[in-house]
Amino acid sequence: MTDSPLRLLLEFDSQAQRDRSQPPTFLHRRDRKFALVCEEQGMAPDAARWLAHLNRLSGPRATPASTDRTLATWRRITAGFSAVGLIAGMLTMAGLLFYDGGQRINITVFLAFIVLHLVLALFTTLQSLTGWQPWRWLARRLGADPGHGMFSKLQPLLMARAAHLGGSAFATAGLITLLAMVVVQDLAFGWSTTLDTAAASYHGLISTVATPWAWAWPAAAPDLALVEATRFFRAGDPMANPDPALWGQWWPFVTMLWTIWVLLPRLILWSLAAVQTRQKARRLLASHPAMHALMYRMETPALDTGNSHHDADDLPDTSARSNLLPLPDSDILLCWAGAGEPELPDGLRSGKELVLRAGGSASLSDDDQTLNRISEHLKNRSKAVILLVRCWQPPTGELQDFLETARGTWPRGSRVALVPLAADSNQEPDAHQVQPWLRFAERVGSEFVQVSLPSFQMRDPYSAVGERP
Amino acid sequence: MIQAPTFAVVGHPNKGKSSVVATLSQNDAIAIALEPGTTRKHQAYPLKVDGQTLYTLVDTPGFQRPRRVLEWLEAHSVSASDHADTVRAFVTQHQDDGRFTDECELLMPLIEGAGIIYVVDGSVPYSAEHEAEMTILRWTGRPSLALINSIGADDYSDTWQAALGQFFQVVRRFDAVRAPFEQHLGLLRAFGQLEPDWERPLEQATHYLSAQRQQRRQQAAALIARALEDMMSFQEKRTLTAGQAAGTSDGSLADQLRQDWYRHQRKREQTLRVDIEHLYQHQRIRRQEAELEWHSEHDLFSEDSRKAWAVSKRYLATAGFGAGAVSGAGIDALTFGSSLGTGALVGGLLGAAGSYFYGDRLALPALNIGVLRDGLKTATFGPVQDSQFGYVVLGRAVDHWWHISHRNHAGRELLDLEPADHHWLENLGKTSRQDIQRAFDKCRKQRPLDERQREKFTSAIERAMAVYDDWRLNRT
Repeated sequence: MTDSPLRLLLEFDSQAQRDRSQPPTFLHRRDRKFALVCEEQGMAPDAARWLAHLNRLSGPRATPASTDRTLATWRRITAGFSAVGLIAGMLTMAGLLFYDGGQRINITVFLAFIVLHLVLALFTTLQSLTGWQPWRWLARRLGADPGHGMFSKLQPLLMARAAHLGGSAFATAGLITLLAMVVVQDLAFGWSTTLDTAAASYHGLISTVATPWAWAWPAAAPDLALVEATRFFRAGDPMANPDPALWGQWWPFVTMLWTIWVLLPRLILWSLAAVQTRQKARRLLASHPAMHALMYRMETPALDTGNSHHDADDLPDTSARSNLLPLPDSDILLCWAGAGEPELPDGLRSGKELVLRAGGSASLSDDDQTLNRISEHLKNRSKAVILLVRCWQPPTGELQDFLETARGTWPRGSRVALVPLAADSNQEPDAHQVQPWLRFAERVGSEFVQVSLPSFQMRDPYSAVGERP
Repeated sequence: MIQAPTFAVVGHPNKGKSSVVATLSQNDAIAIALEPGTTRKHQAYPLKVDGQTLYTLVDTPGFQRPRRVLEWLEAHSVSASDHADTVRAFVTQHQDDGRFTDECELLMPLIEGAGIIYVVDGSVPYSAEHEAEMTILRWTGRPSLALINSIGADDYSDTWQAALGQFFQVVRRFDAVRAPFEQHLGLLRAFGQLEPDWERPLEQATHYLSAQRQQRRQQAAALIARALEDMMSFQEKRTLTAGQAAGTSDGSLADQLRQDWYRHQRKREQTLRVDIEHLYQHQRIRRQEAELEWHSEHDLFSEDSRKAWAVSKRYLATAGFGAGAVSGAGIDALTFGSSLGTGALVGGLLGAAGSYFYGDRLALPALNIGVLRDGLKTATFGPVQDSQFGYVVLGRAVDHWWHISHRNHAGRELLDLEPADHHWLENLGKTSRQDIQRAFDKCRKQRPLDERQREKFTSAIERAMAVYDDWRLNRT
């Protein structure tokens, strides 16, 4: 018989234990993918397929060692029970058939033993059904009791299965011993009891016991004459019976008695335990909490929100610069892209001969005209141009183009001082908003462009705090 | 089959385009910096369900030379009907022109059919210089939505709203760093309104995102439950040979065990935090330095942590009595604080690590130094017998979870877990209290929880998370 539902439960349980250490997102992705593959192939995704799928991907011998260990332990326990059963069966039968030529072998003792055996067998089944485990200490000692987990709920049934197999071995060994003894020895059966029983009522008992096989093998159902003839008394004369052959005529009855009332019940109960074990293993697997979680993962679509692309480490150079320079003397003020609107700070406007606007909503040809006008002005007087920008708008390519054109067209030695203005132009701009301008000036060329703060708010350049790289 | 919609997030440099994309795609590994040119190429972030794309967000570089582009377009266009083709021609012509790399990168998705998500910064004043780029976008003829993001503290969004309304079909406000999750979904639905064909995929996407969020809460609860189980049942054990035992005083042995036990518990808590962060796709969270500095008020064993997260005696009574655990946790908790008296002898062994550690008090009954037997001496520390430890761990874990689950992926600031000022668990239902207490009791007795108990414990923690969430929302 295979252990497949058992093995499945064990492997599933062990996989569930391992999955507990995996990140939930990974588990979801993995299991949903499996479910989709199954759907594509038109198969229902069940535990067996799922485990097979995982094992296949893990390569050969992927069965967890714990599963094999547990199954091996139970195989050992079952084998142990069978071995003990075989030996005990032989010894018991040899004991029951002990005949030294003096005393008869008492059929009543046989009957009593069989009743006892039946009671024990039924008790084993009963305790497995109720889940009572009086032998738990033994299982623990043999290493078969994990103490917790799904598998422990199967233990009573597994133990019953092992016990019934042992019982079957016992019954088989007993039967073989009986037949061997019948062949090699001259056994004298009789019946005896202290109770005042008539042969007729004893015959009634015997007939009832023999009912299952009496129709098939009449010789195995003793008649009243045999019962009457083979009663013996301990104190009586052993040789009182006239026909010694009669003593031996009980053997078919004894054989069938053993087969039908010892061997057969054990086999039936063993099969029952085996079937129940498999059923329970299936039930436990179906109700396993990890199974619910697995089904949920398989049924719920896996969502990828688009976080596969990583470029956080690919940042531009944002190290802090501290090359703020004092505002140079200049009589040209150029407002870029609306800087200084709606009102220019007085401190900046005073003393300026030329106040111009460029960028923003001005057209590119306006910008060119502005460049030309400044160029003309620079030829005569100052060498520096103050370029006001909005500190919160980052430097763009347009400004860079504008400055590069200026560098090409303005007289040599001209300089531009970029002055970032805050939204409230009387306030100092935030340090983190000045930093991009410092880096921009460096990119364009610090011999031509510098960054300054309005003179009325000149501050210590070394106090500039920028973003962290 | 209808092609999944694509949305190109465009705008002036440094207005938070990447932040919007990072938050909506739950990707905290997108480069975000207040420096023009941080995004150099357009990058697609598809939202996929079982590998099937529902929509794609495209992050793009900002406009660098919009006036020059517009001048080119105007020069090459005859009538309004050829605007879109002219934009396409511009891209074709300037693909290899270094000056227009950024413009080509941002216009490319638009000429391929993407919708426009135009991002501006509502915390700085409106300026007319944006009109050139808005005109270019209008020339593409694509459906468009304007998004007023807020990078700074000031608010000029009203003027922006009025100005943007002239150029865009829909104008929405969305703070990429602070917007709560419901607003993310609302924004995605707004994207879906731009074209009739887009409504369905975006509706599906919001449905899946909501489900994912719900699922993450359950998964976070399971992670917290597991960490609690580990921490409540953890025992530090040391076996010494006779020689070693002779050379070590009980005091130093106790101290060593306690330190190791503390270290292990702190590490386990950190592991839980990283797990929760990864669950919410936060891979790169930087913590307050204080979090790493264990001798601080942020420490798991600090008096501050106890004050913030330990539960009241009344709470414990309701959690314990019903559970029939009067003899267990209830008593432990009621004697909490006076255990110094009962464990005075052991207390002497532990020495004075400073009153700062409440851990000294709750760990007293946890120390067990055995006698020398068969040449070996075994000393153990833990599991902690006071369930308050469990509540401190639970409180800290739920607090951390809350911060992470409400953190947008555009956030780059340090994670600061400020302690709470009121005990939120007081609002938890009685059954959940009992389920939590029962699990604690089992753990401290080092009995493993079976699957059913674990399930109950996890759902009780999930309810505790919901209670905390409510409490937080009502507080602010």
